Amino acid sequence: MKLAYYPGCTLHGTAREYDASTKAVCKAAGIELTEIDDWNCCGALEAIFDKELSMGLSARNNFKAQKTGLDLVIPCSICSHNLSRADKAMKTDSGFRAKIEKALGEKYTGVNIKHLLDVVVNDLGTETLAAKFTKSLNGIKAVPYYGCLLIRPSEVCKFDNPENPTSLDDIIKSTGAECLPFTQKTKCCGGNLLMSKQDYAFILTKKLFDEAKSSGANCIVVACPMCHMLLDGQQEMIEKAHNTVIDMPVLYFTQLIGLAMGLSEKELELDKNMVSPAKVIDSIGKGVKKAEVKIEAKPAIEAEAAQ
Amino acid sequence: MIKSNDLDPNFKYEISKEPGGENIKKCFNCTGCTVGCPVTEIDKTYNPRRILRKAILGMRKEVLSDESLWLCASCYICYERCPQDVKITEVIGAIRAIAQREAKAGKIKLDNPKPLFDHLFIDSVKKNGKWYEAGVSGTFMLMTKGIGGALGYAPMGFELWKKGKLSILPHTIKGKDEIKRICEEVEK
Repeated sequence: MKLAYYPGCTLHGTAREYDASTKAVCKAAGIELTEIDDWNCCGALEAIFDKELSMGLSARNNFKAQKTGLDLVIPCSICSHNLSRADKAMKTDSGFRAKIEKALGEKYTGVNIKHLLDVVVNDLGTETLAAKFTKSLNGIKAVPYYGCLLIRPSEVCKFDNPENPTSLDDIIKSTGAECLPFTQKTKCCGGNLLMSKQDYAFILTKKLFDEAKSSGANCIVVACPMCHMLLDGQQEMIEKAHNTVIDMPVLYFTQLIGLAMGLSEKELELDKNMVSPAKVIDSIGKGVKKAEVKIEAKPAIEAEAAQ
Repeated sequence: MIKSNDLDPNFKYEISKEPGGENIKKCFNCTGCTVGCPVTEIDKTYNPRRILRKAILGMRKEVLSDESLWLCASCYICYERCPQDVKITEVIGAIRAIAQREAKAGKIKLDNPKPLFDHLFIDSVKKNGKWYEAGVSGTFMLMTKGIGGALGYAPMGFELWKKGKLSILPHTIKGKDEIKRICEEVEK
């Protein structure tokens, strides 16, 4: 599988371990990534006060991706949201399209944009992925955290259920790690409140930690650099603000997959996480094997629909 | 008490003309947005339904200068659940755009540091093509928390730098002129 790759600013900065583990895992899984040429910032959520500017900044990257003739994969939920929205606007809003085509002097035909999690779960598939695994991560007890823009709004992100997503759950289970129920999985980490009301951001993130800890998890698995920045990067600040000890490692799903593939900690840049994941890595292989009888609890509505 | 003479009935049309604000008039105030809001969950005075209701009634100055406007976390839960497809997250963005213009013109005062951060961020993107994390965060901390407050973040910045996660100098792109042309076109 060949894909164009847009890392986004954070993956070349605070989320460098997401970039490194994405590249390492894709290489091992046979996905060839070509980074698009001279890409720019998508405007993140900071351009929300100017919708056209936000989409215009993103659209330039779509033009760059279009030149590769490949589908575009993005690991960051915010970038993926912005570039997808820009693609949609370029196709449906002729006024906006005319402005951007004029600014860049090119015609836009469109590009197929996907979040990395979508590619791994749906295009590659967990079975194909599991065939590349060299060890079971039995012992890791993880909660999947999806956050916001990975799954919402569903008119932009179509690959999972916006109210009860399961793709990260599927990945965690495929590695042999235990995936614990997490009612906070789609709640907001407060990332975008960090600059407007830091104490609120910390309260929201602390709620995630509280449930993760009470469920007995030894790590949280994420697919967004903004969530990671709050949960991992700000964890020490949250501990100070709330006078508590959290000590909860937060892994990118690519780091988890990489561990199951037997890739080295260095390749996955596990030393770059702010909260040391040493405890999680030590737990591998030390899980208590449960009885084989498993009852898959399905929501009643889903079960009815299946009939 | 709300006095009808103080209301600006054009406010909802003003918002609906702003990109993102088009659907505000569809709101029938069902409170679905507020029920699912993570910010309301921790602060009962934050109420997206109330922001929309006040905007539709025409309480222009109150909506624009209320700090509530800056407390939306852009989590898109209300956007997803709204039965009227109001696209609330984007409506809030549209109202923020109006508030920023009014503040720039000196007509209102904004009591939250978020618009300052947004502008520093976007200015750095316009200048470099990528966001300049160290420069923007440093400037923002200095402007909002003073030297003492900013120094409080220095240990974290140093940790990030040690791990190779924070660049002292900005990353730049070759196509800065293209960014400039895009900005000129959308700002026309």
